[in-house]
Amino acid sequence: MATRKKVLLKVIILGDSSVGKTSLMNQYVNKKFTNQYKATIGADFLTKEVMVDDRIVTMQVSKPAPGPNPLCASIWDTAGQERFQSLGVAFYRGADCCVLVFDVTSPGSFKSLDGWRDEFLIQASPSDPDHFPFVVLGNKVDLDNRAVSTKRAQQWCQSKNGLPYFETSAKEAVNVEQAFKTIARNALAQESDVELYNEFPDQIKLDGGSSDNRSSGGDNCAC
Amino acid sequence: MDSNNTSKKFKEQLIKNVKKEVKQIMEEAVTRKFVHEESGSITSLCAAVEACLSQGLRRRALGLFKTSSTTALLHKMAKNFEPASIISQKVQEMENIDPNKFKPIILRRDSMASPRICPSCILNRRGSLTWLLFSNEKSVVVSPFRRSSSLTPTRICTCTLNRRRSLTWLLFGNDNSDSCATRAASVNSTLTSSITLPNVHPPPLTKKNSAGSGLGPTSITLPKYLWIRLALFEKLLAVIIDHLVQNCSKYYEKDSLVADPDYGSILSSLLVGPCALDYSRTKSHDQFWTDPPADELVQRHRISSGYHTSPPCRTPINYRRNLHATSNDDNQRQTPISAKDYVESLHQNNRVTLLYGKNNVLVLPKDVTEPMAGYLSLHQTANSLIIKWTPNQLMNCHSPGTNQNDHPEIDASDKSQYWDYAMNVNVDEIVYVHCHQQGNDNGGTIVLVAQDGVQQPPIHFPQGGHLLAFLTCLENGLLPHGQLDPPLWPQRGKGKVFPKLRRKGRSQVQDISNDLSSNTEESRDYVFQIISKARHEEFLSRGEEILDSKIWSMPSAANNMLNKVRGHLESSSTNSSTSTSSSLDPVASPLLINNQTTSKDTGDSLQILCETMKKQIISRAFYGWLAYCRHLTTVRTHLSGLVNTVIIDSSDAETGLTKEKWHSFKNDSNLVNDDTKLEIFRLTYFGGVQHDIRKEVWPFLLGHYKFGSTVEEQNAVDLHCKQEYETTMSEWMAVEAIIRQKDRETMAANLAKLSSESTSGGDAPPPTPNTSKVLSQELSNDVRFMQLVFEDNINFSSDEDNPPVVDDTQLEHNIEVCDNPTSQPNINEHLENIPKEIDCDKKSLSSDEGLGKDEVTEKDMTIKKNTSEDTSLYCPTSVIVTTNISQEKSMENSNDENDKIDNKDNNNTSKLAVDDNEGAGGSNHEQRSACISPASSQGGIYPVELVENFGLNVHRIDKDVQRCDRNYPYFTLENLDKLRNIICTYVWDHLEMGYMQGMCDLVAPLLVILDDETLSYSCFCLLMERMSANFPHSGGAMDTHFANMRSLVQILDSEMFELMHENGDFTHFYFCYRWFLLDFKRELLYDDVFTVWETIWAAKEMSSSHFVLFFALALVETYRDIILANHMDFTDIIKFFNEMAEHHDAKTVLSLARNLVLQLQTLIENK
Repeated sequence: MATRKKVLLKVIILGDSSVGKTSLMNQYVNKKFTNQYKATIGADFLTKEVMVDDRIVTMQVSKPAPGPNPLCASIWDTAGQERFQSLGVAFYRGADCCVLVFDVTSPGSFKSLDGWRDEFLIQASPSDPDHFPFVVLGNKVDLDNRAVSTKRAQQWCQSKNGLPYFETSAKEAVNVEQAFKTIARNALAQESDVELYNEFPDQIKLDGGSSDNRSSGGDNCAC
Repeated sequence: MDSNNTSKKFKEQLIKNVKKEVKQIMEEAVTRKFVHEESGSITSLCAAVEACLSQGLRRRALGLFKTSSTTALLHKMAKNFEPASIISQKVQEMENIDPNKFKPIILRRDSMASPRICPSCILNRRGSLTWLLFSNEKSVVVSPFRRSSSLTPTRICTCTLNRRRSLTWLLFGNDNSDSCATRAASVNSTLTSSITLPNVHPPPLTKKNSAGSGLGPTSITLPKYLWIRLALFEKLLAVIIDHLVQNCSKYYEKDSLVADPDYGSILSSLLVGPCALDYSRTKSHDQFWTDPPADELVQRHRISSGYHTSPPCRTPINYRRNLHATSNDDNQRQTPISAKDYVESLHQNNRVTLLYGKNNVLVLPKDVTEPMAGYLSLHQTANSLIIKWTPNQLMNCHSPGTNQNDHPEIDASDKSQYWDYAMNVNVDEIVYVHCHQQGNDNGGTIVLVAQDGVQQPPIHFPQGGHLLAFLTCLENGLLPHGQLDPPLWPQRGKGKVFPKLRRKGRSQVQDISNDLSSNTEESRDYVFQIISKARHEEFLSRGEEILDSKIWSMPSAANNMLNKVRGHLESSSTNSSTSTSSSLDPVASPLLINNQTTSKDTGDSLQILCETMKKQIISRAFYGWLAYCRHLTTVRTHLSGLVNTVIIDSSDAETGLTKEKWHSFKNDSNLVNDDTKLEIFRLTYFGGVQHDIRKEVWPFLLGHYKFGSTVEEQNAVDLHCKQEYETTMSEWMAVEAIIRQKDRETMAANLAKLSSESTSGGDAPPPTPNTSKVLSQELSNDVRFMQLVFEDNINFSSDEDNPPVVDDTQLEHNIEVCDNPTSQPNINEHLENIPKEIDCDKKSLSSDEGLGKDEVTEKDMTIKKNTSEDTSLYCPTSVIVTTNISQEKSMENSNDENDKIDNKDNNNTSKLAVDDNEGAGGSNHEQRSACISPASSQGGIYPVELVENFGLNVHRIDKDVQRCDRNYPYFTLENLDKLRNIICTYVWDHLEMGYMQGMCDLVAPLLVILDDETLSYSCFCLLMERMSANFPHSGGAMDTHFANMRSLVQILDSEMFELMHENGDFTHFYFCYRWFLLDFKRELLYDDVFTVWETIWAAKEMSSSHFVLFFALALVETYRDIILANHMDFTDIIKFFNEMAEHHDAKTVLSLARNLVLQLQTLIENK
């Protein structure tokens, strides 16, 4: 069996307002969509149990709101921090993955991705910022008036160490499951760096217990 | 005929039940998207279906004599109906499980009433046996068992009480008897061997076991209605029943429900819905344990708690009392906690293990003449054993829930007398257990004697060896660090027995009071001493020199006392009220000392010891007092600013401000003096405003109208506001027109860029000619060095829905180099005179794509790149909008059409066109802003920053206005426009602050009530005087709120405070963020929002200008038990309250909030 860890994955969703963060979150966790969501005030959390490579993990998806006002690029460092002061780093700290969402019909939201990424790195200050798992989602692909091309988004992702990019529609549940699966897996990979205490002393160890090695996690789990 | 009728009625009833259950389950599915397999509604649905199927079944003809005849029916059907055979097979699989192999099993059979069996089975007996399946840390799930291949893949290993025969741990795994299962078995056997209790009775809240459990420790109980359940999970139930209905003649009597032409088909079609649902186990099973949804938490709490345990002011008051309390008062102090703990521990939660439970144990509490029956239980927590006895009256009460009680404290007092009787004894404090048995097996009585010599009321066990069983459990619980002295004797085959003792052995028989010890010779009386090994040894090592060995019965108590005293001296400076109150027994200790001094062989050393103890006790009491004084000082200094000093009387104010009262104040069409004002505020504060008159009253409450102002004055205020509002509107609408224009261009550019990217296909970046780059980078800093000069010649005839695309044939870009931006007139001349063609790139791009041909934009555009030598005195970046003749014409057209622009505005605009920035006229505020009047762009020079800043705000506003309360009927498109106008106007006036999310929510209720744009705007501005500081960037009010909340919770609910403190500092209070930002607008339904807002406004005059804090505190207190019981952390609480939004009982919370204000006022007044 794979190591029986207590796994809680903390996933943070960031992005401009009304790009569909709440919708994505709810589509993934509750499998439903409504166009009745209000602008999120404060923070929102949802949790979901998922199986990732034969491990049950609890994904805690959270989104802070309201976001910083990206009035212009220079405000980022100062204002962003200031704004989140009440929230504190508690929100970001210990995040295992950060999901950056933009709206494919809104170029502005795409341009903000840089800012959101920086914001996250500043706030969460992960130990290895260069390799911290981000996943980029271009949401609302069900709409006709698309304004950010796949190519452009992919280029941006490439320029940031090749972040995974998904085009999703929370409304029609396009790609949402797949995207979050990747999110969970990447987050788990991040998590596995941290050795966790295993409370079963005589655990059965398997060779090749890495999270990518799917075959090893198969049926040989003893319990 | 009569029987026909009754049978028809019966059938109707049966179908009705099914309908009800189907509805229930479908509703559950709607909210959660799946139904958990163990959901109570499944059981009830199955029961309803079973009832239908049993009715009129031809048992005899079919040879069905088993009790579960429908199951037999299923097996019968299985022979010739495929789906039935599938289910039948599965049922048989389930039934034939080898009990040695563990099989996942549904545990919570009747979830509505079943005990809360906690996933965290920590069977560690003081560390000796650790079996951690689930950590009790929040949101951590470890499931030790892998998914089994069969149809019931559970990952839960869980323990339960098998109540029929013995206290048994059932562990369910999967088929593989792996190490976990083995371990489970060993744990199982360990426990069953050590705790073998005859007749352990079920906790009263549990329901009857449905399946037999005579199989011993590993018996597995199958859920009720197994086959129906399975068929439902397999989504075959509807099919099977349909088949039954089709072939009803074979199985059913003619007059049965299934055979009924109507009901039969109704039944099968009713079940189609539930069969389409997903039933899940794993997902929600874990979710169930880790993160039950908020409503479930509340419900669970309601079921389990008949007692509201939040006397929020408890700590300070009790603190005082405890200073002079005897140890008996500990019980009273602990009762509220034990109420909650009791429910918790009954169900084997993660902190407490139930070692023993027995109902109908008689206890004769003080001040009661008749012995009372109650439930006796022995609980093991991490570091102590607790004996509890709860009267049956408490056990049986099912309170409808705290929410329905307007005055929880009154309700509590009804039961509180029983809580006074309840016992909650920590075994650590017990030194002796006196046992008295009458006759051979006539039950027995035990008396617990605490170390201070105080006796607990005698506990009388019914006959049947319960006394011995209890002692056995107690002894087991004491291990390994403590023991009973003398120990019970193990006897082969019989378990433990009472030791055969010399009557005066080492036990302290002489301590028994006379009446008890004078029992007949047959009665076997024992006195057991509870010895803590650790303490004893510790004492022996240190105390031998001091104490004579003859008084060795004292040391554990004395030493314990010493330790406590020492512990307290160390901790007294921490000012923690709970720690002091819990361990201080100032009266008890002298008693102890007296006992000691009367001992025969008291040496000098003992006297010294006693002296020391005395001193320490006195000093401890002093420190306690000192701490208390400091504590209250902190209260006063921290919180005195939060409430008004004058306590306002609430008499006759509960009805609130009714229409009649309001009109009675309104003599001579004005509201005269301050008395009236205060009375209005008082009525509003205690009872709210009647809905019909809110429109009239709110402007007064918010200060829009002055109290005492005449109608004329009010009209003047209104007029003034209207003028100001319209002026401001016209200003920002002018800018908005520019923004719209820019949006179109940007959009066009983006479209062009997008399509060029998609068509170019290669890796090369798309060509970015200067101009298109400029256009697309709306936020770019480059803009700073650019001067955009628009000369608008815009045709707005097309509507917004058409994609605003640049038509290349009509697009004329004028590029002009302007050396000196200060000479603006020149620029204008320039613009008109020197139009230039845009560079070819741009043109070709758009033509290549063949985008739309509508005439959206026809413009002359001048873009000038400022060179670096620009050192003008003017703002280097500005947008100059000029008007040409054609545009003026179009403006006039639009004016005519709308007929709403007065001349004054037109005059203004011509003037403003010359003046920069003073505003532009000609706008029409009633008009939908999206349909931009060209007039608005006719003049004025605006700095680029301003345009961009406002543009960003407008975009944000648009996004949020669209999403604001769109399910509330008031917000039609037209009213949303009003909302938008109000916010835009406000933001235009407060551009430095800008729009921030949440403003919509603050305007919305105002607009709903006042239904007038100008008035709402004015009231919103007044509201924002207080609220704006809450928004980020504009003041630290939110942090102050959090800090105040922290102080309040610290003072008024220390238990909660400890929980929050555990999880970090007061960032924990972030769950209040939305509350304070929006004055609870998102937490409550609209009607409640109105009331709460009024109360908040009125509270400023009446009790506290920080009433929001108290309302927040009341919300926290309302759910404190749930929060504490589930040990919620930062995220849990946020999640909980997010889910609870709009489900609060505002009236109750509101009155609790008023009470809290009052409590704090009293506390401070008392000095």
